[in-house]
Amino acid sequence: MNKRTGFFTILILAVLLSGCGDQRIIERLGFLHTASFDLMPAENEHSEDQLMVSLTYPIIDAQLRKVRYEVFTEIAKTSKEAKMKISRKSELRLVSGQMRSTLYGLSLSRKGLWDHLDTLVRDPAISQRIKISVVNGNANELLKKKYPSHPATGQYIDRLLDKEARTNNVPEITLYEFARDYFDDGIDAIAPIIKDIGEDVAIDGIALFDGDQYKTKLDVDQSIYFAFLRDSFKRGDLSIDLGDVGLSGEYVFSTLSNKRKVKVSRDSSGSFIVDIAMEIRGSVLEYTGAFKLSDQIERGKLEKLVSQHISRKLDTIIKKLQKNNVDCIGVGKYVRNSMSYSNWSKLDWKSLYPQVVIRPAVQVTIKDYGKFER
Amino acid sequence: MKEKLNPFHIALLIYMIQSGVVIFSFPRLMARSFGYNGWAAVLIFTAISSFVIFLISLVYRLGEGKSIFDILEQAIPKFMLYPIYVFLLSLWAILGCMVAKQYVIIFQMIAFPSTHPMFFKALIDVLSFILVIGGVYTISKASTTFFWMIAWMLFLLFFYFQDFEWARLTPFFFRGGTDMMWGSLDIYAAFLGFELALLLFPYVEKKGKFMKAVYIGNLITSLTYLTFTFICFGFYSFGQLTRMKYPLLELLSFIRLPFVERIENLLFSFFLFPALITIVMYIWAAVEVAKRMVPKANAKWHAAVLFVLSFAVSWIPDVIGEVEQWLQYLGYVEASVSLALPLLLIIVLWVKKGAMRRE
Repeated sequence: MNKRTGFFTILILAVLLSGCGDQRIIERLGFLHTASFDLMPAENEHSEDQLMVSLTYPIIDAQLRKVRYEVFTEIAKTSKEAKMKISRKSELRLVSGQMRSTLYGLSLSRKGLWDHLDTLVRDPAISQRIKISVVNGNANELLKKKYPSHPATGQYIDRLLDKEARTNNVPEITLYEFARDYFDDGIDAIAPIIKDIGEDVAIDGIALFDGDQYKTKLDVDQSIYFAFLRDSFKRGDLSIDLGDVGLSGEYVFSTLSNKRKVKVSRDSSGSFIVDIAMEIRGSVLEYTGAFKLSDQIERGKLEKLVSQHISRKLDTIIKKLQKNNVDCIGVGKYVRNSMSYSNWSKLDWKSLYPQVVIRPAVQVTIKDYGKFER
Repeated sequence: MKEKLNPFHIALLIYMIQSGVVIFSFPRLMARSFGYNGWAAVLIFTAISSFVIFLISLVYRLGEGKSIFDILEQAIPKFMLYPIYVFLLSLWAILGCMVAKQYVIIFQMIAFPSTHPMFFKALIDVLSFILVIGGVYTISKASTTFFWMIAWMLFLLFFYFQDFEWARLTPFFFRGGTDMMWGSLDIYAAFLGFELALLLFPYVEKKGKFMKAVYIGNLITSLTYLTFTFICFGFYSFGQLTRMKYPLLELLSFIRLPFVERIENLLFSFFLFPALITIVMYIWAAVEVAKRMVPKANAKWHAAVLFVLSFAVSWIPDVIGEVEQWLQYLGYVEASVSLALPLLLIIVLWVKKGAMRRE
């Protein structure tokens, strides 16, 4: 008994005493929330490119009992150096354990992000769940700007991305996902892209990367279609203008779920054919066209038309991806898995990818049409 | 004499000795050495370690459960055994100590960057000392308790189902790896711990079930390694996995609960338990050897001296690279010992049996 008491006394002491070594008093910490990075091109050929880094963290105003987010900007060679410079001006100790989001300006993204992400994956204090987003324009300006209806810009962007990702309007891209796809030889990375639209910040689409370099983007209304191609998912909304399919009216498809299957085959000449089959199910909650949703045959016709419409949209996206030679839907993974290791390592997938035939096959099912018959 | 260890406790004890800090880098080791689908190679190592356990069971059967020191001392003069004893003693003591140091250094990296590592090391040593002087029965009781304190962590695997992708596993088996030869030694070293079963002979009850328990302990270890490594291969891309220093630590940091995130510091603390048992059992093994060398002294003094000496030795390597290098070499030596010691004992027993038959 005595021994056990001794053991636990020491265990408890160990736990408590170790706190004395590295004290972190919450009032004296500045929890970095969002960081933004922009490229500062070299002034002349002798100097190097630099980074403009902005960091935001909450400051608690004890008298007003209010929290305000301050933005600090510095120019430095690396993000850690900028953090040190900013820290020199602050009475708080800046810590990055609760950092939620990082924003990268377009010019920096074009040059390549990995050097700047490397420090994030290396630092054990930084979460793998930190968001990676591209800003169409200047990231520092966007972060610094005050949006009247959204007091804390960093937090606002973070929540906006969170919410939009839940309905698959933008992909949720964290450090984990970006690094995972960056190091995978069968898929290219993506990131959401946002921009300042005056009074608010809005999702601008999806940035497509080749390696760690930004190549091109998909528009925001293509996002949900891209989501169909990229993965299976359970939640989403889609609004279709039926004018596109030669009918009149508007059609809103919600609580979508998508089941994607990819099959790789080869034709007689040996070139790859990739079939992406998508089963899309959802309920119709708004429909202003002429078809009778309660009629099974008419509903079937509508399903077919919508399928065709989606297929056409997907074709446009696939063409754009192939034209820019970015495999952001991960076709490469399936091609890789269809062959032997030695054949795959010999294959120059990057140069082959633009010529591969990718055929989307969409099957739309109207699960229900709400609680109103017509 | 004191109470004997029962098979259930032995199985858990063996598992707790085997698992330690190495599990954090284990998936990367597999990916580096065996390439795509390296997780499947865990099965190969399970077979190898089971074979070595089979050798140990031969020793147990041939020696009829006698302590290995008795077996050695009956056949070999004591002065010739002394160098072997000194070698084993220092190997086990330093091995135990280095495991502690590695745990401390990783812990420091993620949680307490400016505290002196030897301060933590000293705290762990005090805990270990109390367990070691309690004797093997107390240790096994503690290890059973500790086992239940970490067993729940298996449920954490549910967090990774959503991002797990079969396509990431690829159909390639054991391709794209580098350095399978040395890597295999490192991986085999990760299974080490079962060889301490050799020293448990005098402390176990019923003869038949003891070896079975050692096999089961080894299987639990393999199963843990297999599940975590498999998850890592489907959760991370291959290229990413080969670059991560501690894939398991990254897995833990991925967990986010609705009310809290970044709980890996907390979760990492739980890994103190298996690490502690590893440390304690290796030092206990060293104390067992010391008892043979200086039988007159009090066991507590043996332990105390060993702890002080190994603490001093562990002061030498002080960056993570050095500690890992030491552990790697010690692992190689211990891997050879795990094979050589049972073989030596089997030869001794056979020769003795032959001699007895001739008489």
